[in-house]
Amino acid sequence: MYHLFLPLLSPLILLASACYAGRHPGLRPGKVPQLAEWAALGAFVIAVMSALILIVLGGGTSALIGVWGVGLSVHLDAVSAIMLVLVSFIGWIVLRYSATYLDGEARQGAFTGWMCATLAAVLLLVMSGNLIQLLAAWIATSLLLHQLLLFYPNRTTAQRAARKKAVVARISEAALAAAVVLLIANYGTSDIATILSAVQPDAPTIIAALLIALAAIMASAQFPIHGWLTEVMEAPTPVSALLHAGVINAGGFLLIRCADVMLVAPGIMALLVMLGGFTALFGGLVMLTQPAVKTSLAWSTIAQMAFMIMQCGLALFPLALLHIVAHSLYKAHAFLSAGEAVRNVAAIRRPGPVAVPSARNVLLAFATGILIYAAVAAIFGVDGKSIQAIALGVILIFGVAYLLAQGFADAAPGALTRRTVIYASVTSVSYFILQSVAQYLTAGTLPATPAPGPLEWALIILALISFGAVALAQSTFPLWASHPAAAGIRVHLSNGLYANAIFDRLLDGWSRRQTV
Amino acid sequence: MYMKHESYPAAMLELVAFANDAVRQIPPLFPLSANVAVNPFLGQTNETLAVTAARLARVAGTRIIPDRAAFAAKLTSGEMTEADLLEALSDVESRFDAPSVADVKAALTTATADLSPLPTVAELAAEVSGIDWPGLIDERIGAWAASHFDQGQALWQPNRTGGAYSAWREFASRDLTLEIHGLKGFGAFVAGTNRSQWRAIGRASEALGVTPEAAGTVFHRWLMTLGGWAQYARCLLWQAELEDQTDTTTTELLAIRMVFEEALFDLYRDQIADRWADTIAQHQAPITPTRDLVIDAVLQDAAERAQQRTLAQTLAKRQPRKVKGRPMVQAAFCIDVRSEVFRRALEAQDTGIETIGFAGFFGLASAHKGAGSDVTELRGPVLLNPSVCSHTAESKTCDLNRRYTARAKRAWGRFKLAAVSSFAFVEATGPVYAGKLLRDALAKGTTGAKFDPAPRLDQSIDLPARIASAKAILGAMSLTDNFGRIVMLAGHGADVTNNPHESALQCGACGGHAGDVSARLLAGLLNDTDVRDGLRKDGIDIPSDTLFLAAMHHTTTDKVSVFDQDQPSGQWAESIAQLKTWLNAAGQLARSERATRLPRVKGADDIARRAVDWAELRPEWGLAGCRAFIAAPRSATDGTGLSGQSFLHSYNWRADDGFGVLELIMTAPVVVASWISLQYYGSTVAPGLFGGGNKLLHNVVGGIGVVEGNGGALRPGLPWQSVHDGQAYQHDPLRLSVIIEAPRDAMNDILKRHQSVKDLFDNRWLHLIAMDENGDLAWRYTKDLEWVPMTKSDIGQTAIAAE
Repeated sequence: MYHLFLPLLSPLILLASACYAGRHPGLRPGKVPQLAEWAALGAFVIAVMSALILIVLGGGTSALIGVWGVGLSVHLDAVSAIMLVLVSFIGWIVLRYSATYLDGEARQGAFTGWMCATLAAVLLLVMSGNLIQLLAAWIATSLLLHQLLLFYPNRTTAQRAARKKAVVARISEAALAAAVVLLIANYGTSDIATILSAVQPDAPTIIAALLIALAAIMASAQFPIHGWLTEVMEAPTPVSALLHAGVINAGGFLLIRCADVMLVAPGIMALLVMLGGFTALFGGLVMLTQPAVKTSLAWSTIAQMAFMIMQCGLALFPLALLHIVAHSLYKAHAFLSAGEAVRNVAAIRRPGPVAVPSARNVLLAFATGILIYAAVAAIFGVDGKSIQAIALGVILIFGVAYLLAQGFADAAPGALTRRTVIYASVTSVSYFILQSVAQYLTAGTLPATPAPGPLEWALIILALISFGAVALAQSTFPLWASHPAAAGIRVHLSNGLYANAIFDRLLDGWSRRQTV
Repeated sequence: MYMKHESYPAAMLELVAFANDAVRQIPPLFPLSANVAVNPFLGQTNETLAVTAARLARVAGTRIIPDRAAFAAKLTSGEMTEADLLEALSDVESRFDAPSVADVKAALTTATADLSPLPTVAELAAEVSGIDWPGLIDERIGAWAASHFDQGQALWQPNRTGGAYSAWREFASRDLTLEIHGLKGFGAFVAGTNRSQWRAIGRASEALGVTPEAAGTVFHRWLMTLGGWAQYARCLLWQAELEDQTDTTTTELLAIRMVFEEALFDLYRDQIADRWADTIAQHQAPITPTRDLVIDAVLQDAAERAQQRTLAQTLAKRQPRKVKGRPMVQAAFCIDVRSEVFRRALEAQDTGIETIGFAGFFGLASAHKGAGSDVTELRGPVLLNPSVCSHTAESKTCDLNRRYTARAKRAWGRFKLAAVSSFAFVEATGPVYAGKLLRDALAKGTTGAKFDPAPRLDQSIDLPARIASAKAILGAMSLTDNFGRIVMLAGHGADVTNNPHESALQCGACGGHAGDVSARLLAGLLNDTDVRDGLRKDGIDIPSDTLFLAAMHHTTTDKVSVFDQDQPSGQWAESIAQLKTWLNAAGQLARSERATRLPRVKGADDIARRAVDWAELRPEWGLAGCRAFIAAPRSATDGTGLSGQSFLHSYNWRADDGFGVLELIMTAPVVVASWISLQYYGSTVAPGLFGGGNKLLHNVVGGIGVVEGNGGALRPGLPWQSVHDGQAYQHDPLRLSVIIEAPRDAMNDILKRHQSVKDLFDNRWLHLIAMDENGDLAWRYTKDLEWVPMTKSDIGQTAIAAE
C-alpha cells in the first residue's frame, strides 16, 4: 500500500521550499518566489495524482511512520482527496499571486516561507490518518498563520487582531487536544479510520463530540468569537485569501472527518444547527451594512462557514463539503480581485436606478422560485434525498427568489425579467447537479443522513421560517430599510452586535499604543 | 444646509470664520472613481515651505521636507554643489535670521529631530487613562464615515438626510462601542448636543477653552486627525463651489471630532485640564519656523537649483530637427511627462513626423455620458467647469441592450451579496470560480480597454459655438497653419487590472479618466466640413486633405490605439497604415527605455504583461520623477533625452497676440502640473500624512477610497508602491521648475491678474524660469514680479566647457 504515502510528498515539497525561503528572508529574495510557486504547483499535481490513485487503486490508511500511534500516516478517501486538491490549488494560486504582489517588500522571502509552511500544515491536517497528526497539524496551522498575520509586526491593529485570534486558537486547540485524548483512551488507538468504524454512543464519545464541535466553532469564527476574522485585513491580501479559502475550512473539515463521532450526539448536532443558523443569518445581515470590500468579504465568510456548520449539524456532510469547496474557490477569487471594487461600485450606478419590487412582485418571485425548484426536482428526481437536503434546497430557493424579485419589479423591463428567470433556472439546475455530484463522490465515505426525529423536525421548521423571513425581508428591503425604525437596527448590526467590542474590552485590546 | 449667521452671537461668528478658514487648510481628495492629483499644500500656498513645515509640524507632527541624509548624499555625489547652497541662502526670507553656509553644512551631519504635534484632548486622555482614545476615535469615525460616504458597496445604505453631522448624531447616540470601552454615557452626551454643527462647535469651544487666537491651528489639528475623511469632505465643498454652491460637510466633521474631545475632556478634566490649557496657549503662538526648518527649506531650494542646472545642461544639448515643408504627420500628445518618452520615440521614426504637446483634454472640458450610462463624467481639469456636453453616439437598441446586460449583471451582483441568497450563490456557482482563478492567475482575461463607439457633442452646441471652440483650441495649440496630412490627437490612458488607484494613472487633465473621449470629440469637431468652412473665414485654412485622427496612448504598454473607425479612411488609408507601423516601432523603443526603470522587467515584452496581471502593484511609474514644465516650441527641447520627467507644452509666444494663450497655460496646465508635482512630493516626503499607504493592505471603502487594513481614516495621495520600488524612491521630491519661453513682462502681467498663481511662484511651490530665444534658461523669477538673470553656474555652461 505504498501508494498511500504519495500525498505526503505535497507538504514535503512545500516544507523544503519554506526552508529555502528561510535562508533568503529579505527583499527580492532571488528565486524564492518562483520556487515556492513551482513547489505549490508540484503539491497540486501530487494531490491530483493522489485523487486519481484513489479512484484507480482505492483508498485507505497508510502505515504509520512513527511509534506508539504517534507519527505520520495518510488517510486517503474522498474527503481528504477533495481537500488536498482544493487546498493545494488555492495554495498555488495564492503563491503565484504573492510572487508578484510582494515584490519590493523587505521581508518577501520570509513571507513566502511562512506561506509555504502554513500550506504544508493544512495539507498534513487534511490527510491525517491519526489523531496525533491531526492535532499537531491543527496547532501548527494556527501558529504558522500567526506569523503571517503579524507580517507587519508593528501595526497595532494587526497585533490586536492576531492576539484575539491566538486566544481563540488556544481554546480551540485545548478542546481538540482533550477530544483526542478522550478518543484515544476510549478506543485504544489513534487511528482515525479505526475509531470512526468503532464509534459507540458512550459518554466519552459524546463529550469528545462536544469538544470537537467547540474546536470547530472556534476555528470557524462563529458568533460571538467571530471578531478576529473581520480584523485580519491587517495582513497582505494573499494572507486573507489563504486564510478565507484554505485555513478557515479546518473547522468544517474536522466536523466532516469526525462525522461518525458527531452523529452519536444529536443534541450537539442540534446546537451546531442553532449556532450555525443564527450566525449565518447574523453574518449575512451584518454584511449588508459593510462599506469596505474586504470587511464585507470577511463577514460573508463568517456567514458561509456558519451555513456550512448548520449543514454539518443537519448531518448533510456531503453538502457541507460541497460548500467548503465552492466557498473557497469563490472567496479566494473575491479577495485576490478586491482591488476591482472601485470599478465595480462605479459600474453599479451607470445603467440607472434599480427597479424596486413591490410586496406583490416579491411574493410572485417566491412562488416562481418554488415552482422552479419543483420543476428541477421533478426532472432530476428526489429519490434518496433526505428531508434535510430537501429543506436546505428550499432555503437556497428563497435566495434565488431574491434574484427573481429584482427582475419581477414592475419597473423592470421585460428583457431584465427574462434574464433573471434564466439565471435563476440555471442556478437551480446547477445547484441540483452539484449536490448530486457531492453525494455521489462521498457515498460510502461519509455517513448517510439519518431520518429526522422530532428535534430535527423542529430545527428544520425553525430554519425554514427564519431563513424565509430574512429572505423576504431582504427582497422587500427597499420598502423598509430607510424607515427610521430600521436605522437603529442598522447601527447595532453594522457593529456586529458589539460582540467584538466586548471581546476587545475583555482582552484590554485598546490599551494605549506601545509608543516609547 | 445653509447657515443662518444672523442668529448667532458675535463670538460664535468668529469661531465660524476660523472653522471655515481651517477647512481651507485642507486639500480636497477626489474619489478613486475619478481621482486627480491634488496639491496637498493647497491651503498653504500663501505661505513658504518653511512656514508650512512649521504649521504641519504643529498640527500633524510630520516633516514635509526630505531627511537631511538625502541632501548630504546629493552634496557628496556632487549632484548639489556649494554654489547651489550659497544661492539658496541668498534667497532666504528676510524676516528669518539667515543661517550661514557653515550652519547648513553642520546641519547636514546631524539627524533631524523627531516632530510631535501639539496633543489633542484624546491624546492627553490616553496618556492618563491608558486607553487608546485617539485610536478608538479614528476607528469610530471611520466606521461611521465609511458608511456615510459609501457610493454603493453596501446593499444596506444608511440614512443620510440632514447631512453628515445630523447623520452622525443618529449613529453615535445609538452606538454602544465607546461605552463598552469606558466612555460612559457617550450616547446620551451625543444626543444632548445641539442639532446645529455650529452650535456644537461653539459649545465644545467654550468647554475646551478654545480662544479665537488658538482656533486657527487647533481646528486644523482636529481636522488633520480625520485624515482623508476631512479631505474627501473638502472635495465636496470644492465641487459645490465650482457650481456656485456651498457645502458644510467638512465643518460638520470638525464638529463631530470636537464632540469627542468635549466628552473626553468632561471625563478626564481633573487630570488633563492644566496640560490642555498649555496646549491652547501653544496654539495661540504665531507659527514661526525653527532654525532647523529654515535650514531644511534652504537645502530643498538648493537641491532644486542643482536640478535646474542639470536640466540646463540637458537642454543645451538640443538638436532641432528639420521638418522640411509640410509634415506627413503632426501628432499632438498630452503634456503628461509620460508623453515625452513616446514623442521622442515617434520622432525618431521619420523626419516627416512632428509632435505637439497640449493638455490632454484638448480644450474640450466635457460633461460626458458613456455608452449605456446615466452617469455624467467630467472629462476635463477639475479646476474648470465643463464647457460642453457630450455622449456616446449609438442607436437606441444598442443602448438598451447595453443597459439590460448591465442591469442583469447588477442584479446578479446583488444576488451574490444579499442575505440568504449569498448561500445559494456559493453552492450553485462556487466551482465556476476555479476557472476564474485560473484565468486571472495566468492573466488570460480580456486585455486592453474596450472603447465605446465614437462620442458626439450634444446637439445644443450650435455651429458658431463649434467654430469658436475649434478656433480657440487650434490657437492654444499654436497650430494655425502648415497642417500635416494627418493630425493625430492622442489622449492617454493606463491599462491596469485590479488596481484601486487606476484613475491616478489616467489623464489628470481629463479629470482622472482616459483621454480617448476628448481626443475623439476634437477630431470629430475638426473634421466637420461646416466647422472648417467657418474656420477658413476666420483665417485658419485647414487643407481638405488634412485628416484629424483621434488616438489613445496606452501609457502602461506604450501601445497606441488609433480610432480610424470614427470616420472613413478614404484617401488616408495608406498614410494611416504607415502611421500605425511607426507607432508600433515607437512603442517598442519607448518600452525599451522604460524597461530599465521597472522592477522585474527583463525585456520590453515583459511590460505588456503588467497591464493584465492582477497581482501587479507597480504596473507603471505614472508621473513619478516629474520635475520640469517647459512651455516652448518643440525645437527648444528637440533631441534632448528628458527621461520622461518633463511636461512639454508647445507654445510659440510670437504667434500669441495679447498673450491669451500664455495666460491659459500659466493658469491651467501649470496649475494642474503643480498639483501633480506636489502630490508626488507630499506622498514621498510625508507618506504617513499625504501618502496613500501600503497597497498590500488596501481595503477599498465605499468605492471612493482606500483604508489600510481594517478601517480608520481614508488614505489620500499616492500609495507607497507608486513612489518607491522597494529599494529606492522613484520620485525625487523636487518642486516643479516651470520654464517658459515668453517675455517676462507678459508673464508679470498675468501673475498680477492671478494672485493664486502668483502665490505659487512667490512662495516657491513652483520655480519660474524664463527661457531666452536661444533656448537657454536666462531669467529666474524671485518674488513680487522681480527677475534675476541666471548665473553661469545656474545654466551649467562651466560644466559644458569642462566636458
